[in-house]
Amino acid sequence: MEKSEQQFVADSEPLYGRWNPNSALGGIFAVLAACFLFYVVPGYIVIPSDMQHPLLSPRFLPQLAGWMVLALSTLLMIDGLIKPPKREEVNEFRRGVPVMRQALMVAAGIVYVLFFEELGAIGSGVLATALLFLASGLRNPWVYALVIVFPVVVTLLFIYVLYVPLPAGTLWESLSLI
Amino acid sequence: MENFSEVLALFLSVDNFLAIAVGVLIGVVVGAIPGLTATMAVALALPFTFSMEPVTAILLLVGIYKGGMYGGSITAILIRTPGSPAAACTLLDGYPMAQQGKAKKALKTALYSSVVADMISNLALIFFASYLAKIALNFGPPEYFWLICFSLTIIVSVSGDSVIKGLIAASLGIIVSTIGLDAVYGTQRLTFDDYNLMDRVSFIPLLIGLFAIPEVIDFYTSKVAPHLRTAVAGASLTWKEFKGLLKTIVRGSVIGVIIGAIPGTGATTAAFISYSEAKRTSPNKANFGKGEIEGVAAAEAGNNGVAGATLIPLLSLGIPGDVITAIILGAFMIHGLTPGPILFQENLTLVYALFCGIMVSSVVLLFVGNAAIRYFSVIADIPKTILLPIVLMFCIYGAYAVNNSTFDIGLMLAFGVLGFVFNRTGIASAPFLIGFILGPMFEDNLRRTMLISKDDLSIFFRGPITWVFVMLTIASLIFAIRRYWVARNEAAV
Repeated sequence: MEKSEQQFVADSEPLYGRWNPNSALGGIFAVLAACFLFYVVPGYIVIPSDMQHPLLSPRFLPQLAGWMVLALSTLLMIDGLIKPPKREEVNEFRRGVPVMRQALMVAAGIVYVLFFEELGAIGSGVLATALLFLASGLRNPWVYALVIVFPVVVTLLFIYVLYVPLPAGTLWESLSLI
Repeated sequence: MENFSEVLALFLSVDNFLAIAVGVLIGVVVGAIPGLTATMAVALALPFTFSMEPVTAILLLVGIYKGGMYGGSITAILIRTPGSPAAACTLLDGYPMAQQGKAKKALKTALYSSVVADMISNLALIFFASYLAKIALNFGPPEYFWLICFSLTIIVSVSGDSVIKGLIAASLGIIVSTIGLDAVYGTQRLTFDDYNLMDRVSFIPLLIGLFAIPEVIDFYTSKVAPHLRTAVAGASLTWKEFKGLLKTIVRGSVIGVIIGAIPGTGATTAAFISYSEAKRTSPNKANFGKGEIEGVAAAEAGNNGVAGATLIPLLSLGIPGDVITAIILGAFMIHGLTPGPILFQENLTLVYALFCGIMVSSVVLLFVGNAAIRYFSVIADIPKTILLPIVLMFCIYGAYAVNNSTFDIGLMLAFGVLGFVFNRTGIASAPFLIGFILGPMFEDNLRRTMLISKDDLSIFFRGPITWVFVMLTIASLIFAIRRYWVARNEAAV
């Protein structure tokens, strides 16, 4: 392809406008970095009274990193404004994803975070895996046998082969007391 | 001789051989499954190593690393989906070979090239690591400070498409690394009075969150893609063909070793340089990209030549050369060991036991790789709908096992969401991890230098070693900026 043709192809590729992902991302990071530098660092990092040199301060490294984020995100924002990035093709698989699929994934995450100790490793594993299988729309009832097999096998592997303790479940313990 | 018997006593255990075999197997299997990476496998395996002996634990992770490097090429050849970025070069000729009905030949070529390159790389590790460690014994805090500065420049090379975004991620990683009690003054930093954060952010939840969870989230926020089935067909590689490829394999291995020993350059670069060098010198130049067997051998030799060599800076200087060695560095620390020259002084037996294991891992790779070729269709045909819930389960159990705390599960999922956002916005996660690991080292050496110098800044330039690292840091920065500028201009044309 001739150079002029290549230039034509490049020019005809769709570009984002001024408000593109890079400038938006840069703007968000810049605001967060400013909040970090002027609110979080002074409020949540204590400077000891016997500090000898600013380079030894507990604030030095977080501040240095915070200023770097501020400077770089400003640069990213300016870069996005001056030279908008090329518009990428939207992945077909990311369009029209059922809300239920995503909601079931979030529910599985919640089961693990909130009920891991109450239901135990096996209980929460069974429940979360069932939710994730449902999210994928698996219909074969035999596949759902794996919902029990996997958590049991993995838990036993952790506890008895690798000697890594996992919770048995406080709920079952309290039920057994009743 | 006495040391040698100690090394053998430490190495010759069933656990070590089992760890190597299981590690290589996991690596090949994970590498062979599209969408799962060796980095993810190493991160997930880390919690399993808590109860193991240090040698066994490290060998398991090294085995996964090496297996994963080869496993990535299987999918590249068969379904045009590189399991790792480095395998992208293998598909240039591997996939056309598979389309021509020579899949088995391509896979065998990839395997034998990988094993030979791995052996050469291991020998380089054994010969050079201890020598470099001896030099590093002369390092004090100022020298280490500059060494860390030089290592921080590797962030540029692992930043992906945008260096600015990579540097932002690294800075965020440094900020997260400062959470906890201050090492010198004992005051709280960014803990928000939460006792869970006082002992710093746990390494394993962060690691699993950044590298495994985003895959899971990405899968459930996309529609289910059709499952690709694969087939291994055609004739195998003959001894005559292999002999003809040896020169290319050795050259690629040496390129891999040199590039692997330089922190941050990586297997992808090595694979492409080896490939272009093979193409330049080959009489079948025109066939490259159309199914040339030499192309597969060169790419795989370059790619795998890096594996042992990246451990040279890790073991001798204590600095990670890439993301996986950064995870292995974390594994050393979890087991109370600090890689670097002191490791060679205080734990020489352990180092040599590791070397023995690393050599054995190459032989194991040969057998496991051969089996993987035979049974590949079984491995790759596990659908993600079944696989990812198990991956998530391993992530959750692994994160919990660190401190027996559900706080770590929440922390891991939070980092998972962060990693997912990073993926969607084109920010690489690797710089975040490098920043998280090197941040505290940077601060520690800066403070120690200031304390021994009594605030005299001239100590930072006290001798030839510091000057060498200052120059290397500046040169690396200039090189990185130049490369970024060239890539930016090329993208603009």
